[in-house]
This record gives sequence, C-alpha cells and structure tokens, in this order.
Amino acid sequence: MTVGGYPPPGHFLGDVGFDTEVLSDTAAVARTRVTPYVCGADGGARAGVLATLVDVVGGLLGVRILRPDWMATADLTLQLVRPAVGPVVEARAELVRRGRTTMVIEALVVNVDEHGDEVLGADGESAPAAWSTLTFAVLPGGNRTATEPLPFDLPPTMAISGHGLDRPLVETLGMIVDDAATGRVSLPVHPYLHNSIEAVQGGVMALLGEVAATEALGAATGRSGASMVVTDLQVAYLTLGRLGPIVSRTTVLDTGDVAGAGGTSGSAVVELIDSGAEDRLTTVINARGMAVESFVATAGPVGTTVAAAR
Amino acid sequence: MSGPTRSGPADARHHMSDYFRLERWEIPPADGGEGFSEFAGRIPVDDHHRGAGGGLRTGALLTNLDSVGGFLSGLSVLPRWIVTTSLMVTVTRLDHEGPLRVHGRVLRRGRNSVVAGLDVVDEGRDDGLVAASTATFAVLDPGEMNLEFDRPAVVPMPPPTAEVPPAEAFFCIEPGMGATTRLRLADHLRNPWGILHGGSVAVLADVAACRAAAAASWGPGPAPKADEMAAADTVLHYLRPARVGPIEARCRVLGGPPGRTLVRVAIHDVGADDRLVSLGSVVVLAV
Repeated sequence: MTVGGYPPPGHFLGDVGFDTEVLSDTAAVARTRVTPYVCGADGGARAGVLATLVDVVGGLLGVRILRPDWMATADLTLQLVRPAVGPVVEARAELVRRGRTTMVIEALVVNVDEHGDEVLGADGESAPAAWSTLTFAVLPGGNRTATEPLPFDLPPTMAISGHGLDRPLVETLGMIVDDAATGRVSLPVHPYLHNSIEAVQGGVMALLGEVAATEALGAATGRSGASMVVTDLQVAYLTLGRLGPIVSRTTVLDTGDVAGAGGTSGSAVVELIDSGAEDRLTTVINARGMAVESFVATAGPVGTTVAAAR
Repeated sequence: MSGPTRSGPADARHHMSDYFRLERWEIPPADGGEGFSEFAGRIPVDDHHRGAGGGLRTGALLTNLDSVGGFLSGLSVLPRWIVTTSLMVTVTRLDHEGPLRVHGRVLRRGRNSVVAGLDVVDEGRDDGLVAASTATFAVLDPGEMNLEFDRPAVVPMPPPTAEVPPAEAFFCIEPGMGATTRLRLADHLRNPWGILHGGSVAVLADVAACRAAAAASWGPGPAPKADEMAAADTVLHYLRPARVGPIEARCRVLGGPPGRTLVRVAIHDVGADDRLVSLGSVVVLAV
C-alpha cells in the first residue's frame, strides 16, 4: 500500500515494515516490529529507527490534514525514557497545531504486545518509551515528484511491507563508519532511502546522526559505540540531502555526568554534509547518549501520570 | 524574543534582557563580505539568577538565547522581522561561574523561516561549553514596528540595580508544587507585540517541570525537593500567542533513568479558552 506511489517497491520503509492506522482527522498510530536488525546496545529499537517511525506516522497524518498541499520535515525531537523493546513499538501521533506555513505534531512511543496492547510498567501504569515532536513545513501545491496522484480517499489503515531485513538496518542502508573517533559516518544516496520528494528520508538522516554520535561518544568516553545508547535527538533539517554521499561531522560537547544518570554520558553536535552538493550543510543534530548500563537501569515512576497534560 | 520596538510610547524590547543584564553585539561579515551578520551576547549571571545547579537556570538561559537568536534572525530578514517558533537546547554544564557568552549564526534563511545555531560558553571557566542550541523563527510582516537602528547593532550591558527580584517573582510565577504551575500575565512580561514573551514561557516551563519531577516521588528514600532539581535539555514549541492569562503549565512526568526525569510540559492560556500555546519537554536532573 502506498500514498501517491510512495514508498515504492524495494524501499527501506517496506523492509523495516510499518502498519499505520488513522484514528481521526487529527490522530494516527504507526507500529513496527522490534527485530535485532533495528536495535541498539540496550536491546531496544534505536533512536534513529524510532525517529523514522514517528516521521512515518507524522507524514501520514500530515498528508491527510494538508492535502492537496504536501510537506517536508523541518525539525524532529525524540527522547527515550526507557528501552523500546517491543515486541512491537507504537507511535501515537496527534496534531498540535496546523498553521499556514507549518504544522506541529507530537507522538508518544509505547511498547505493545503481539495483540496491540500496551506493555505497562511494573506498577500497572502506562510506561512510554519515548516522546517526540515533529514540525513540518507546508509545501503548497502538492508533491510534484509523486508518481501517482494522491487518492481522494486515503485508506484508514495501511501496511507498508517488503522483503524484510536480513542484516542490521544501518548496514542495509549502506552507512559506513569512516572514523569512529571523530564520528565520521558516510551514507550514499539512492532511491532505496528516498523520501517522497526524492531526497534522503528524514528518519534516515536522524539515524545517520545517531550512529555518528554513538561512535564519537563511545570513543570520547574510552568505551565503544557498541556500549553507548543515544537517548535524545534534536534534529533541524535545513536543506534536503539529494546527491550524497551524506557525511557526518561530529563535535563532542561533553562527556561527564551532567545527564545525572550516575554513569558515563555525553552529548554531541552532528552536522550532516551533502558532499556531492558542494559540501552543503543539510542537517544539524544535537544528540545525547549514555552508557548502556545506566540507561537500562531505568527505574522510577514507570509511566506515572501526575496530571492529564492536555 | 527581542527586537525593535513598536513605534509609540511603549518599549517592551528590553524588559527581559535588562533583567538578565544581557549585553548584545552584532558581528558583521568579515571584510565587508556578503552573508549574514553573526551575533553575540554576554550574561553576567548575577547571584539572584542562579538555580539549583549553581549557575544560570536553564529557563533563564533559554530566555537569553531567544533574545540573541531573535535579534540575529531578525537582522537577516530585514525589512521583515521574526517571531520564535521553537527552541531546542542541549545543556552540558549547570554550575556556571559566569559571565556566559552566547554566539549565534544563521544556519538557514528561507522565505518563511530562519534557523539559527547558538552556542554558550562560560568565560569564568576558560570558555568551557555550557550549551548548544538550535532555534527556529517564523518570518512575518513587522507592521508598525520601527526597524531603524544603528548598524552594527550594539546593546550595552545594563548596570546592576538594587533589589532585583528572583526569577520566580519577576516572572510572576505563583508558589506551588505538583503537576500544574501558574504564571500571572503581567504587562512587563509582554513582548513588543503585547503577547507573553517567549523567555517567560521558558522560565515557566523550567519551574513547572522541576516542581512536577519533585512531586513524582519514586524509589526508596524521600522525594527530592523542587530546589534540588534543575532543568537541563529542553525543547519548546511556541504554537500560538498567549495574550490573556493566567498561563498554566501542565506537566506529565514520563520517566527516565534514576536522577534524570523527562517531563512533558503543555502550556495553556487559561483566559483564552484554555488554548494550548506552547508544548515542550524538559529533562530534570536531581542535583
């Protein structure tokens, strides 16, 4: 199932696999299965994969809200509060504001079981895995690169499926760690990872930034990237990454305990450069990570709701 | 957000920056070249502005980032001007010595928006990095605003004044504890458009998140007090103007590793049909 021909056959979104469901004019959910190929050091779906999930559900909701106009992701934030171990993760998206030039959506990510029921915390309360926001820039006039016209009645449910993954998503996408110590990771651009306007999909850019930050923070803390978990992503999309390879330029900001996790943590700024487009700066990502043992020690008020927030 | 003042007797542009004694200066392109000016600012970090982390509290830091980033971005779109739509900050230190120096640059200027990157260093700690931020501003018609000022723009640091109220008093934040915190929308908290200044929203989110995290006790031992909590990494989306008040921050504690709590903060203008005006998240640390 596609929207206006997107995603096409043989696309990474199909191979990861997403099920989407529109709940109302302003709310939708998307789910994906947590397989070893999308996981990080904590055994849960990595932040970049969850960023892709929320980008998918936000995009689905946005298409319905904005049609006949189209949109591009302007910024994305995602903060993990506990491992997204699934077995399925669900992003619950809701429209926050629809303006003339921008649209803001928030999404709560929860672990769900095989029946689609939320996996609650030990206290029986909701236990979200992550919280996310997305800002989309409104593109008037629709998607001029679409291969098919947008159907008048978009289906309420969609299954985006393909052949599945047979190795880690990072490898499947073609990401190469050129230098872990400096957080230099490169990504060739090809249709397999395009978004609906033929540039690198926003979740892939977030994942690239996450991989770069993980490697750099691992090296800076005397560990390895395999023992670090990036928990926070603040992504600003400046221009589209079209030509590639997209190359990361990473600056470690701190390695210490400002995150209060009682263990090794740190933050980094990752700039994503389109090396095929005169080294144009396409994306800036602020990332925070911590040692896996600190993150999986997550205790606390699993899902404690102090007040109805909306 | 800071910027030129609306023509007329009211000048709301300096309320926030004067309170924090923010100095600002424009850095034109080198050798008169093309491109956008960069912008810098300096915050002395007076004692009454220090929070539980020992340095400038993060809500106050965001207020000043908003001021510097707003001026920077506004200059890049003249004769139009800007309004803040989002602030994202990663905090690397809370125990500032001060003064803090902000440096901002335009990352992207589009037809409808400007994205700025801002870094903060602690001059009292050998220019050690304190925070990195990305801010987005929407471009708008300035209406009757007076946009004439000397270039390069320079706003000197205001001198210290006696009997300056602490942040919660200055920002008219009502005492309390728990999931909901209220702010009274006083006139000095309004920006040149007459709406609640973005910096006020940031300070409210900081205070509210710390109170909510403190109230959500967990694990063995006594719950921490709000003054033992400090806001750190913050995301704020400015969705709609807050004009009426009172302004209410409603928090939901989402959890996190021990000592590090993520709090979702939804800010409503109670007097304007309770509409949602800002939405964000604050990482609260036990210090």
